[in-house]
Amino acid sequence: MSWFRFLRRKRWDDERARELEAYLENETLDNIARGMPPEDARYAAQRKLGNTVLIREEIYDMNSIAFLETWQRDLRQAFRGLWKNPGFTIAVLVVLALGIGVNTAIFNVVNAVLLRPLPFEDSASIVSLFHVPPQAQFPGITRFVLSPANYLDWKASSTSFESMAAYATRQLTLTGGDQPEALLAAVVAPEFFTVTRVSPERGRAFSADSDRPGHPKEAVISHSFWLTHMASNPNVLGQTLVLNRETYTIVGVMPARIELKAWSATNAQLWVPLVWDDADRAVRGNHNYLVVARLKSGVTIARAGAELDAISKRLAVAYPKDDAGWGSTIMPLSEMIVGDVRERLWVLLGAVGFVLLIASANVANLTLARTLGRRKEMAVRAALGATRGQVLQFVLAESLLLSVAGGAIGLALASLGMPAVRAMLAGQLPRASEISLDPRVLIFTFAISLFAGVAAGIVPALRAGRVNLNDTLKQGGRGETRATGARTRGLLVVSEVALSFVLLVGAGLLIRSFWALRAANPGFDPRNVATMSMFIPPAKYATPAQQSAFFDETLRRTRALPGIEAAAFVDNPPLTGGSMQPVTIEGQPIVAMSEQPEVATRRASPGYLQTMRLPLRLGRDFRDDDAYVVLVSESMARQFWPNENPLGRHMRFTFHPENLWEVIGVVGDVKTGDLAESPRSTVYQCTNKLAGPFATLVARTSGDPNGFVKSIVDVIHQVDRDEPAQNIQSMEELVDTTIAPERLSALLLGVFAALAVALAGVGIYGVLAYAVRSRTREIGIRAALGADMGAIVRLVLIEGLKPALVGIAAGAAGALALARLMTGLVYGVSTSDPATLAAVAVLFFTVSTMASILPAYRASKVDPLRTLREE
Amino acid sequence: MGTDTLWNMASKDARTRDGEMLQGTLDLLILQTLRPGPAHGHTIAHIIEHRSDSVLQVEHGSLYPALHRLEDRRWIASFWGTSEHNRRARYYRLTPAGRKRLSEETTRWARLTGAVNRVLKLVEE
Repeated sequence: MSWFRFLRRKRWDDERARELEAYLENETLDNIARGMPPEDARYAAQRKLGNTVLIREEIYDMNSIAFLETWQRDLRQAFRGLWKNPGFTIAVLVVLALGIGVNTAIFNVVNAVLLRPLPFEDSASIVSLFHVPPQAQFPGITRFVLSPANYLDWKASSTSFESMAAYATRQLTLTGGDQPEALLAAVVAPEFFTVTRVSPERGRAFSADSDRPGHPKEAVISHSFWLTHMASNPNVLGQTLVLNRETYTIVGVMPARIELKAWSATNAQLWVPLVWDDADRAVRGNHNYLVVARLKSGVTIARAGAELDAISKRLAVAYPKDDAGWGSTIMPLSEMIVGDVRERLWVLLGAVGFVLLIASANVANLTLARTLGRRKEMAVRAALGATRGQVLQFVLAESLLLSVAGGAIGLALASLGMPAVRAMLAGQLPRASEISLDPRVLIFTFAISLFAGVAAGIVPALRAGRVNLNDTLKQGGRGETRATGARTRGLLVVSEVALSFVLLVGAGLLIRSFWALRAANPGFDPRNVATMSMFIPPAKYATPAQQSAFFDETLRRTRALPGIEAAAFVDNPPLTGGSMQPVTIEGQPIVAMSEQPEVATRRASPGYLQTMRLPLRLGRDFRDDDAYVVLVSESMARQFWPNENPLGRHMRFTFHPENLWEVIGVVGDVKTGDLAESPRSTVYQCTNKLAGPFATLVARTSGDPNGFVKSIVDVIHQVDRDEPAQNIQSMEELVDTTIAPERLSALLLGVFAALAVALAGVGIYGVLAYAVRSRTREIGIRAALGADMGAIVRLVLIEGLKPALVGIAAGAAGALALARLMTGLVYGVSTSDPATLAAVAVLFFTVSTMASILPAYRASKVDPLRTLREE
Repeated sequence: MGTDTLWNMASKDARTRDGEMLQGTLDLLILQTLRPGPAHGHTIAHIIEHRSDSVLQVEHGSLYPALHRLEDRRWIASFWGTSEHNRRARYYRLTPAGRKRLSEETTRWARLTGAVNRVLKLVEE
């Protein structure tokens, strides 16, 4: 039997009909030749041939695949059966559509963020290279950017890479238009275009020597920049842009497809060459550049990593002052871009997987009840010769039909909700803007639909196939004395409760972590503080004196505004990271830079403590006439001057060793990077004598900071009308942004867990309601024999609570085992937190009791007389 | 794949029992008939009936499922042609595989009948 024939069996049958007709004609003509009258000749021929319909049917059967034929028939029957039972059908479709819908939605995100390749040719070969810093100075930090000299050495001595490029991002101020505009630029080595294999859609990439000092400045602009700023001018090449007061010539336009927001090297409006002079190239101890490279074909990441390790070890020996203890690490570019989101997403996908399992268990319960209600139908089928396999197939056909329909609805829901998901995740998740349905999502949805169908159908199908013909048919229309399949349904309830228990514990842990984070003391008072950052171009403000003149004047005018209680400049406000620098402490042994302790180093102006309400523990605050003085954090004081008074002690910053800085005060610890971190040694340099091109203005306001933003921006423009203010947000918004991922995970997992609990509650209720209905007769007899109402209620309650309790126990065990996977995601709470477990257990007990009460009440209302009369 | 339901099975059995009893021999007879050259169903039926001196009363209709089965196994191939009455008819011819099969089956048949004959002879004696 061939598929070809199967698919064309209708045509084949026509062919046979023609062949048989040909026989009849030939035989008729023969008969006439033998002298029969024509009318008899045809009849005689037909007699000779036999029943043509039967012959054709036999051949048709030979051509058909029985399996498929019967599936078709079963599906048709299942459809009719479901149509006639809309209550059941709608309940199942809702449960399945929800279960499959959330899975599709989350997989959609996972697909876009984790699975879909980056938009570069052979993107799997593109890797990111980092230092691993010495752990003594950088506890817990596993990757660190490179210094120019180390990058050049890695590049020159490695053989694993086809090409390698350093890059960084920089803000450039575009002038020449009506308003100054801050542009996001990627500063890249010319090899960047070789590594990514991106060629500009117009013009060319940088010339090979564009990275030499003194070479005319070139710029490649992004497709969007070309649209928005160059009016899609086809003759854009050769035009110039004034950036930071320097003139750049546009040599190329990048294609739109590589505008990947999640990668700093592509989330740029323009690309300019990385220019290093000899002094820059010699810098080995100051790490400021990211590095991307392309592996030679056939070279594995492991091999390239081993080579980099060997090179790092050689460099550490050759330049112990700078490189001792600095290792290397390598990872696929996609991994660097996605970062720690991976773990969160897998947890979410696992969670929705649980939701689907619970939904399937629920549907299995419903189907089981329905199938048992149709035992007679099944028995009749069996009596008429249906094998167990055929009954099984019929029940499976029904649940597959439901699950595929539910999957289609779920897919529709997920795609309707997709814009909302994209909007919600934008800015919180790398590559969120790329979320879209693609064939992989469709295949996933179809696969999980089939899975749900089989998962929900297999238990009822197996049970239906086991129907005992004699018993069922003999029982006739009488009620059952024992709820058939009670144990199976009990097991389904147990698994539902256990699964949703695990899910709820996970959600509970994330919610508690989120609360803990929110309650974490950041070390400053984030209320009523406006922040905005600015960058003053070195070409315009060349000397420190010019720079500090700008900052001083801006501060003076800002402080003079009504409603401004305090204002200050800082290079990086709390929770936004910033510089880590090696330091030497006066009076402590001098060691090589690579062994010097690293501390978070901030530059702040007088007034910073007051603005942020940072508590001063010891000594005094900055004054306007201070020079080369620092404030240190409590943990820094403890680290360097344990049991000593740090005031009046001196220190040096290795990157700028010319000055000696005096400690004048000790302030409270603040969270420098994120709310979850432990206190970090921090030093604040007074900016009176040290300005820089970057600064963030922080201002304490008398009311909602957003109401003061406009007047502050006006002040900045009074000082320099070419100076844009960036990243305007209140300090509270900034704090919120840092805990947004935790908020999102907690929220989503909470929603999924709630869904799961609701499903489990409905499941318990459904099972009990069915059990009570099918045992009405037994309950009636019990009542007639004198069982009081309390005993009956107890009977039903116990039947409902028993599997729930087993499920709670199993769920607690599962939660203890699985929550360990979430260690990296929780803060301030143990993954085996007894309070969470206990709360969830109590919640489940309550839900199961509530789900059992209604059926128990119904059981108590059974009228013994009526039940017995019905016998 | 026996997933047809029981009642279906029963009716089908009644219809094809003769066919099944004949199956092995009918296949052999068809292949043998086609050895000299292509023929259409009508001719094949008459040749078998004629050559066996009407001992083998094949219901002509049962020939067609057999032809279909043989074609399925690629022992014979078919094509549309014109009959001696100048009517369209479906012709069958032996394929190389069919020729091989025929010689195997003939040998097997000869062995079988030889054996059966020997047994029968013994009984007679």
